[in-house]
Amino acid sequence: MKADVQALAAIFWKGLKHHIRYPGEFLTFLLLPFLFTFLVLGMGNAVGGTNAAAYFAARTGTTNIVIYEILGSAVWMTSWVVLEDVGAGIRDEQIKGTLEQNFLAPVNRFTLLVGLSLTDIVITSALFLVVVGVSVAIVMPSSFLSIVPAFLTLLLGLIPLFGMGFLFAGFVVRFKEPYIFIQLVNLIFATLTGTYYPVTFLPYWLQFLSGVLPQTYVIDDMRRIVIANQTLVSLYGSIFILLTLALAYPLVGYAVFRKIEKRAAVTGEFSKY
Amino acid sequence: MNSRNISYSLRLFEEFKASFLKDLRSYFRYPAWVIGEFVSTPLWFFFFALGVTLFAPVASGASGVHGSGSGLASFFFGFVFIILFSTSVWGVGQSVRNEQTSGTLEQFFLAPANRATLILGRWARIFLTDSLIIGYTTLLLYLLGGTAVAVLNPSLFLVSLALYELSLIGFGLFMAGLTMRIKAYNSIGNMIFFGYMILTGALFPIAVLPTPVRYFSMVIPFTYLNDLMRHAALGTPTLLPLTLEYAAAVVSSLFMMVFGFVAFNRIEQDARVKGSIATS
Repeated sequence: MKADVQALAAIFWKGLKHHIRYPGEFLTFLLLPFLFTFLVLGMGNAVGGTNAAAYFAARTGTTNIVIYEILGSAVWMTSWVVLEDVGAGIRDEQIKGTLEQNFLAPVNRFTLLVGLSLTDIVITSALFLVVVGVSVAIVMPSSFLSIVPAFLTLLLGLIPLFGMGFLFAGFVVRFKEPYIFIQLVNLIFATLTGTYYPVTFLPYWLQFLSGVLPQTYVIDDMRRIVIANQTLVSLYGSIFILLTLALAYPLVGYAVFRKIEKRAAVTGEFSKY
Repeated sequence: MNSRNISYSLRLFEEFKASFLKDLRSYFRYPAWVIGEFVSTPLWFFFFALGVTLFAPVASGASGVHGSGSGLASFFFGFVFIILFSTSVWGVGQSVRNEQTSGTLEQFFLAPANRATLILGRWARIFLTDSLIIGYTTLLLYLLGGTAVAVLNPSLFLVSLALYELSLIGFGLFMAGLTMRIKAYNSIGNMIFFGYMILTGALFPIAVLPTPVRYFSMVIPFTYLNDLMRHAALGTPTLLPLTLEYAAAVVSSLFMMVFGFVAFNRIEQDARVKGSIATS
């Protein structure tokens, strides 16, 4: 147990050091939600003219466009960071030739993957607090405390996201070429989870897919908490779904990762790139 | 034209052709990238289009600053501008970075060939695949939503596209030079890319921007090129009187081209002296 905790701490610090060493990457993730929100606002104003806010309110029930969009952007960036770190992290190790050493170390694979995820909890928390915290403090200072339950929703939503990361890490070991898939998966997540619009805008069959993605619930819950002053208790239905997904995704993700890893150990896939 | 000039031109053409074919081969060698690019590019468009729909009038088509009914078409052309602009940042510029990280840049620069022609080969491949993606997205847009994107003045559109491409080559050369100077190319590239999307009227008219920012937009050459292309395609009013807008587009384009070539040569010379071509 003590050895596992030490290994977790070591992996966590290694990941954190990597982020500190390349501050430009973090800064980009910090700026992207603002830039995307600004783009959507600019395009929306161009299309809707002076009545853009009224049209927006008629469809979403709120005139608080900035917070509505920034919450979507922040959750989107969070999933981007997790997929890139957990999924592509394995690929980076493979390219650098350090994956075999890591896998040969007397450390449980699950500990290894959870260690990578722990770093991301710190990074995504910082991302959320800066992006959402600053936006809410400026636009709706009276609702500033609502970011606490919103943050708790994000933390809960991170667990299934890490499960997806494990799944992705397995695919990366098997199929290589993670970067284009990361871009594609991130974009599919953004489209399906209602980043800039309610998911009810999507066709029914796509809404079904949205329903199995944790970010859909995280974004919707955050909007209800911050903009509509709802509480976590009143959102028990979606919290329950998030808890279920938090159990299902890591289990499935880890099982798939182990299966692919075992196969890779037999075929010698680890060192191939 | 004397025979020396002819043989020089033929040699440049051969270099260009070789570079183009080399890039085409490497592009198709990674089918995952090809599929990913063909799926993700239209997906970006539909994703943002859905977001923008929230702001459109409830009962009718879009009618904002762009004028009635032209909202989606204007947004579509914005998407086209972005794809084309990405050529200079992520295509031409990034190509030098890729050669640098894979350790082939020195061989590339030691070859008895003109650097610019080699980079132009890369640009030509990207122009070809981008055109395919744009055409395919236009078809998809028509099949899914019944929206046919038309160009009002095709000849003016082609002229403005040619001017735009010249500027892109110039800017791409500058970005390629930049990769020999800076390590954090991705972060800088992202910032430039977003700056382009927000400040040059690519996705929305600069009239939406606050006044002080608008002044900044007015000194960026791409602002006039985007504006002229959108005018040619959709008949939107131009930023400047039409004759002045033509002049601004031509001058901007030539300026970018010359600036790109000069900057690239200077940076390359400097990198040779300092020995930093492959170290950044």
